Amino acid sequence: MKGKLLYLIIFSLVIVTISEFIGFQAIKIGSFTIGLLPLVFAIVITMILGMQTFRKGIFKKVYSKGNIEFASKYLIIIMLPLMARYGADVAPKLKEIISIGWIFLFQEFGNLGTVIFGLPIALLIGLKREAIGATLGIGREGELAYISEKYTLESAEGRGVLSLYIFGTLFGSIFFSILAPILLDLGFRVEALAMASGVGSSSMMVASSSTLVARVPEMEQTILAYAATSQMLTSFLGTFTMVLLAVPLQKFMYSRLARRKK
Amino acid sequence: MSITKNQYVKYALIVLLSIGLILFTQEIKLIKNPESTPVTSMTYLGLAFLWLFSMVGIAVSDLSKKVPIKIIQDFPVLGWVSISSLIFCLTSDLFIEAIRAVDFLSITTPILTYAGISVADRLTDLRKTSWKIAIVAMFVFTGTYIGSALLAQMGFMFSGK
Repeated sequence: MKGKLLYLIIFSLVIVTISEFIGFQAIKIGSFTIGLLPLVFAIVITMILGMQTFRKGIFKKVYSKGNIEFASKYLIIIMLPLMARYGADVAPKLKEIISIGWIFLFQEFGNLGTVIFGLPIALLIGLKREAIGATLGIGREGELAYISEKYTLESAEGRGVLSLYIFGTLFGSIFFSILAPILLDLGFRVEALAMASGVGSSSMMVASSSTLVARVPEMEQTILAYAATSQMLTSFLGTFTMVLLAVPLQKFMYSRLARRKK
Repeated sequence: MSITKNQYVKYALIVLLSIGLILFTQEIKLIKNPESTPVTSMTYLGLAFLWLFSMVGIAVSDLSKKVPIKIIQDFPVLGWVSISSLIFCLTSDLFIEAIRAVDFLSITTPILTYAGISVADRLTDLRKTSWKIAIVAMFVFTGTYIGSALLAQMGFMFSGK
């Protein structure tokens, strides 16, 4: 297994090199400019090469069972230096952040947007109990734990949250690196979008805040500080927002909307 | 569940791998664009601090499991690392200066490389989901993001900033 790990490390160096040489690509679609960072190329290339059809020869060694396990088990540890970096961005801004602390708390309620925007659409296209699991939150560990405790993962609600989890894991960071610049072009303030980046999933937060940094480099420190603070706040308050607000709101909306449909 | 000495060694090596990858990425970025953040002795010091604070965060997270309060036990190790680093950075500007000599975007590329590899076996799980969930997912992600952004934007307007 140790030998194969070497393949993984060398492979990752090659992917980093390729992604960095492709570099930051700004794609104009109408009046929107979507900026694709090397990190997007890195995740797209590794996902494509990971498909079963490519797993021959050298790729079979790179994408061995042990290596994929290593990557998923220790991804969190690999991310730690990034989280440590956020500390250095927040520290000089701490006074400023505390002075507008109420805005940070206020925007946490925006996380209810998953229910408000998601639930009507889910019911409209014909989902039923799956919608409960799929719209309670962004489908990360917190929602997964809550739904599995209350309904089990084999239930319709469980299928909903699991599907969302899979989607978020695979496409979350790509999605947010496209969404963030679009909203910037729509006229949102970069500070507001930085705060919104703390959605509760680290990879989504990274994708969103990095893209904002690439678009507005002179605000780098503020963007990273706000995103990291909001992310920490969501980690602390997320469970409360979900249980005390999202769950009752979802129940209320579900019963209203489901009844109207009949 | 407390972390054994062996696991600490393992984590220490993986974090070392991670900062090695960051350094590599920053060097590659410099070859592509000589104008990007240079690698100086401060960068090396910054990487050392990132390694150290990561390890401190792991230890704090380990200790937090002994606190009989659920919200503290459930707080992710990622958060503990940020908090530990923040506390160190509040004590001295040297930490901040050194860490900021590490290019931010160079930290992100290797992480997403490993994220991509880690999901390789889950691509087949997509068959278990449906196009309906894909649509809902887009609205759910957009919903939380726009929801927070709107409230934050309003907050800034009210406070006159």
